[in-house]
Amino acid sequence: MSDDTKIETKKSSRRTYLVVFCALALLTALEVTVTHLPIPRLPVLIPLALIKASLVALFYMHLRFDRKVFTVVFVMGLLMGVGLILSLIALFTPSLLDIR
Amino acid sequence: MNQESAASLEITSMGVDNRKLGVWIWLGSEAVFFSALIIVYIVMRNNSVNGPFPREALNVSLTAANTFILICSSLTMVTALSAIQSGSQRGLWRWLVGTMALGLAFLTGQAIEFTSLAHQGLSLSSNLFGGTFFTLTGFHGAHVLIGVIWIGFVVARTLRGGYTQSNHLMVELAGLYWHFVDLVWIIIFTIVYLI
Repeated sequence: MSDDTKIETKKSSRRTYLVVFCALALLTALEVTVTHLPIPRLPVLIPLALIKASLVALFYMHLRFDRKVFTVVFVMGLLMGVGLILSLIALFTPSLLDIR
Repeated sequence: MNQESAASLEITSMGVDNRKLGVWIWLGSEAVFFSALIIVYIVMRNNSVNGPFPREALNVSLTAANTFILICSSLTMVTALSAIQSGSQRGLWRWLVGTMALGLAFLTGQAIEFTSLAHQGLSLSSNLFGGTFFTLTGFHGAHVLIGVIWIGFVVARTLRGGYTQSNHLMVELAGLYWHFVDLVWIIIFTIVYLI
């Protein structure tokens, strides 16, 4: 890779980081705004939070550009965590398990 | 390849550095850890017999500002890594110091919030909301503090010329931890303060 190409790659990386930062800030402002609106919060805020978390993982933690093995081990932990959350929600919310 | 550079690579059989793989596995386990704290908070927070209760106690504005501070710190951290990837040790330590400053600002915001909640009668033992809230956010705050200290060690080594364009894995690993702490806060902020 030539020196000019390396410089352009670095500039585009820093531009990407800045774009992601702006997206994170805007999404945070949107989340706070949603709490003041007369709409259901859960179906809006959870996806927004997941989008923000994904942006951090993919671009700031470089999962998008790095070896897939790192994505696999991290996602395994996330899946175990999500499984834990869902199973305990089911355990403590009897209506979800109401089988007639 | 000489012995010193061969030893510094520490490549696993999968062709990745075993230190980096180890950190990612550890972050996966941390995800399970925080998931457990989050679900306990979700289940227990509305089961308190006595107040204070979440909606009346929590300051969303202050915490939103704190969240913005932590997002800024992720930007400074990734910019620090980008700087050393370009060979700039000066850029590295400047952005790392900025990250530390923002991390300390976040902790200050947390301390202010915890003090305010304490004045309202909320504590670890006041009710279920207090116990689960302070456990979850307290553990996260401790992680932020550890991250600030870790970055401090990285700064110290940077000032001694310890990192170069070709040798800066430890900066990347510190960055991974810091971004994970930010990622967890993104989830905590939504679940605890907004929903």
